[in-house]
Amino acid sequence: MKIILKGRKVIGGKAEGEAVVTRQPVSFLGGVNPDKGIVVEKGHELEGQSLTGKVFIFPHGKGSTAGPYIIYAMAKRKTAPAAMINVEAEPIIAVGAAMGNIPLVDRLDPNPLEAIATGDYVKIDGDQGIAEVIKKGGAEG
Amino acid sequence: MNLSDKEKKMLDGVWGMGPQSAMRLLVTLGEIYGAQKMIPVASCHVGGRSYLISGEENIEWMNDLLNGGARFQVFTSTNPCSVDFQQWQKMGLPEKLVLNQRRADEPYLKMGAIPLGSCLPYQLGNLPLPGTHFAWGGSAGATFVNSAFGARGNREGSPSVIAAAITGVTPEYGLHLKENRYGQVLVDLSGLDHSSMTLSQYSAIGSYMGRTLVDKTPVVVGLPPTFSQDQIRFLISPMPTAGAISLCHLAGITPEAPTAEVALGGKKPEFSIAVGLKEMQTSFEKLTTTRKEEVDLVCFGCPHCSLPQVREIASLLEGKKIHGNTRLWVATSGHLKDIAQRLGLVEIIEKAGGLVTTDLCVAPGAPFHLVEGVKTVATNSARGAYFIPGACNVDVIFGETGDCVQAALKGQWRRSK
Repeated sequence: MKIILKGRKVIGGKAEGEAVVTRQPVSFLGGVNPDKGIVVEKGHELEGQSLTGKVFIFPHGKGSTAGPYIIYAMAKRKTAPAAMINVEAEPIIAVGAAMGNIPLVDRLDPNPLEAIATGDYVKIDGDQGIAEVIKKGGAEG
Repeated sequence: MNLSDKEKKMLDGVWGMGPQSAMRLLVTLGEIYGAQKMIPVASCHVGGRSYLISGEENIEWMNDLLNGGARFQVFTSTNPCSVDFQQWQKMGLPEKLVLNQRRADEPYLKMGAIPLGSCLPYQLGNLPLPGTHFAWGGSAGATFVNSAFGARGNREGSPSVIAAAITGVTPEYGLHLKENRYGQVLVDLSGLDHSSMTLSQYSAIGSYMGRTLVDKTPVVVGLPPTFSQDQIRFLISPMPTAGAISLCHLAGITPEAPTAEVALGGKKPEFSIAVGLKEMQTSFEKLTTTRKEEVDLVCFGCPHCSLPQVREIASLLEGKKIHGNTRLWVATSGHLKDIAQRLGLVEIIEKAGGLVTTDLCVAPGAPFHLVEGVKTVATNSARGAYFIPGACNVDVIFGETGDCVQAALKGQWRRSK
């Protein structure tokens, strides 16, 4: 099964990968280890989960304005997500994605937190603001 | 966003990869905030320079920009950092930190930054004029310049300030637009006896306002017309830490507030509050994290001390000796220290056993935890007291300037009232 979600371009570019979805906001500074690409925030539902090469879907950022540096460092160290989807992008995540050149889209319809599950395969077209979702286990084409 | 030909060329990489990534970052911000266009900035001030705040990631990013051909197009000064390059040994700071801070500073200087090394750049030649646009990091400075000078800018993180310094422009949103600068709530301070109010007390009130108003732009009434720059600084600088206030009008004092009615844009305030001594006292209690009495370090200078402040501290220390287990640091800029030296104030403070530091941040970028034996820090500003525990993992006592000096002399905290 294939679903198309349409929304807004924040950072352009094309990327694809396996989805990692959380309903909890994410702080990259202190919440993600940039050397390993792993979520380390205590008690976060993704604690221990790798983000490297994934399409990372979360509502929005939180925490320190130094967060962009961590996203940038992940891109430099090749531990970053392949692309990101936010429900509503805010400057911390968006500036980090711009610094690290990571495609980012937001305001997708339908709501990506409902339509996409961890393990689905997602193709992002950042320039068009489009996400194409191939559901896990669904027969393709 | 509608970009000019020059801006489009930057975005397309015609000027090199450095300006291209800077412009891409600003376009991203502009699109998120719905900005229609870019506007030129007349003044930049970069925060995020402290090695202890932004570390290796910032060095990597800055060097990539530099090597990609980025240079500052605008007068760009620097905020304080994690060390005093002259006195780090006396202060007990590790040499490794000094070397790292030098490495962190290099790309800023190569891009053309003016190393004022202070959060009072407006006392040192970086003074945005009313109605002009600025991009400043460091929330104390940005909030002060918005409020006291009527220049226009948002409180923002370091990357977008660097990007504005490189491209010469910033997206037109938020406080750059006059319609977003009107006051929303009225704060009455007429119940206070302003003839006896101290700077610490004004900062306690500013902190209370930040906690209570969150992100509403206040219009303050009831201040005397003689309200000084230091008093404005202490009242306003805690607002963006306790809350998210980036602009505060003082009726009859600041440029956009000849009267409260003008500052409110002719509208009724959403609500009004009166703040008195009781509300003020809650800030001293909330921001003090310990009941211990031993004080290991007393610091003044968040924001950096002005000359009147250095003079006050020197007069309280004259002819006295600081306790053997306690340190006392007075943080200011190199320029102001030069003048304090000519006035004999530095000698008085040093004779008592204290230090006047330059280039050093004593709050968000402070290195207190790296100085042996420092577990409890006393300070006289609500802004400093907010940052110190989180930044340095030490306890903090927030009190009056005089009480802080007494704590340094006795090695113990005793509150005077």
